[in-house]
Amino acid sequence: MPPALHVTRLSKTFRVRERRPGFVGALKGLFSRPSHDVRAVEDVTFTIERGERVAFVGPNGAGKSTTIKMLTGILHPTSGTAEVLGFVPWAQRRELAYRIGTVFGQRSQLWWHLPPTDTFELLRVVYDQDRAPHAARRDRLVDAFQLGDLVHRPVKTLSLGERMRFEIVASLLHAPDVLLLDEPTIGLDVVAKSVIRDLVRERSTQDGATVLLASHDTGDMEAVCDRVLVIHDGRLLLDRPVGELRRTYLRRKVVTLATAEPRVDVRLPGVTVREASPHRTVLEVDTATTPVEAVIQAALAATRLEDLTVEDPPMEEIVKAIYASAGRVAPAAGSAR
Amino acid sequence: MTASATPRRRRFAPYLAAARLAARDQTTGWAEAVGRAAFLAVLLFIFSSLWQHVPMSGAAADPRRLLWYLAITEWVFLSVPSIHLTLERDVRTGDVAYRLPRPVSYLGMRVAEAFGVALVRLAILGVVAAGLAFALSGGLPPAPASLLLALPLGVLAVLLGTLAQAAVGATAPWVDDVSPIYWIWQKAAFVLGGLIVPLHLYPDWLRTAVAWTPFAVLLNGPARTAFAPSTADVLETAGLLVLWVVLVGALARAIHHRGLRALGVHGG
Repeated sequence: MPPALHVTRLSKTFRVRERRPGFVGALKGLFSRPSHDVRAVEDVTFTIERGERVAFVGPNGAGKSTTIKMLTGILHPTSGTAEVLGFVPWAQRRELAYRIGTVFGQRSQLWWHLPPTDTFELLRVVYDQDRAPHAARRDRLVDAFQLGDLVHRPVKTLSLGERMRFEIVASLLHAPDVLLLDEPTIGLDVVAKSVIRDLVRERSTQDGATVLLASHDTGDMEAVCDRVLVIHDGRLLLDRPVGELRRTYLRRKVVTLATAEPRVDVRLPGVTVREASPHRTVLEVDTATTPVEAVIQAALAATRLEDLTVEDPPMEEIVKAIYASAGRVAPAAGSAR
Repeated sequence: MTASATPRRRRFAPYLAAARLAARDQTTGWAEAVGRAAFLAVLLFIFSSLWQHVPMSGAAADPRRLLWYLAITEWVFLSVPSIHLTLERDVRTGDVAYRLPRPVSYLGMRVAEAFGVALVRLAILGVVAAGLAFALSGGLPPAPASLLLALPLGVLAVLLGTLAQAAVGATAPWVDDVSPIYWIWQKAAFVLGGLIVPLHLYPDWLRTAVAWTPFAVLLNGPARTAFAPSTADVLETAGLLVLWVVLVGALARAIHHRGLRALGVHGG
């Protein structure tokens, strides 16, 4: 049985035509337009076994979406090969479609004016499924995603979080073996993100589906996946278990305090002040030395908190740390292109 | 189950389901239908007033027949959905990413959806156009039974128009904006298709030249039923419509397939 995904030296180069500024530039552009190549993905190689949950993380513009689009057969690679469940995606797109499910954040496959059940029925016919087993699976998924009350409401009346849950249900209806998720939590609030992460993990555990989750949010990776591929500037930078990445590169949290008093002084080992302005202090916490809870307790003891956020460091900082640990300097964004 | 193993009847089922769903979706937008009907009413009122003051004679230029002719051309033209804009939007916003990895033809599904919308429009605008033409021209044209033939010919013409606009929209992976290409198509259809004046009133040389294009049957084809054409003429029109549907459909498909490779140029 072939692995779920097998990618060898996959590369994608886009040719981008430039536009000259101004009216004269526009006239010149009618006759000749200079172009340059953009290497979006370069020599990416990895294998994902069936049932694995793998995060594909990197900053914006790293090449995650381009790779996902090649794996779904939407884009043709410039060079290299890829097989998904033994199919070459861009050559066998329709055959592969029966076996994969896709979710693209901030895109929609649901009919805007109609209830989600109408889209589900269309998908049943598209994926050539019998009525009774489809209905049973649809009802199970709607229950699992806690959408029973919303299923007959027009899509346009749903919140973004509710709609994304329906999008994921729509992608799971034909029981795909591989689920390709591209930024499924983008634009969602913290609660909606958590709900979606839990549900994706639960469903993949129950169905045994392989998950490749592309995201620039390390929270998605930590909550859903067991293994992580880090991509930057089109190149694969790291392939590690999530636990190892967490211990090595995700030890730090960024805590932002909005306080009643103009200043707050939290002196604990492993805690450094990143920014301080009146009524707002940003702390960086090494969680291996001091847990976040201890920092919050210390802040509460020192002042009255009006607001509090705890975040992972941005993906760009993690990438820099990965480069630093390898004794290299991270190239500026886009420099490899 | 793969496409090759799927029985033919079930292979067409997704396209029928898409057309049905789009038709249902269209019925939720009554404001748009009212807008189109109002536009049609204004247009027919203006031309009925105009033709009452233009000296014309003979059956070939009978004002009543001309108004029924215009009602049918506008009925067809206003029923064709803007599928070119849908295809352009799919590429521009990246929504095409959701629709391509499916075991059906992306273009086929979009055309089916557009045709579902078109059928609803044909039904609504058909009633409005017939009612207005009857009221403004003072009755039915001579040999009114031939008007019934406009129904099947109109459906075929709308399918042809939808496919032609799908071919325009399929250029979206190369051009950021398909509007200039649509603009050329639309104006050519107006002028060469006889939107306002029937082709039999055109000069011989122009009528002969236009006969080799799909424009000759797109609007003039169904609308000439207002002039009680012979059975042979109607059958010829129907045959030409089917021929152009096949040819323009093949053209749209070929452009779409080339465009799928060019999609990469824009980053998907």
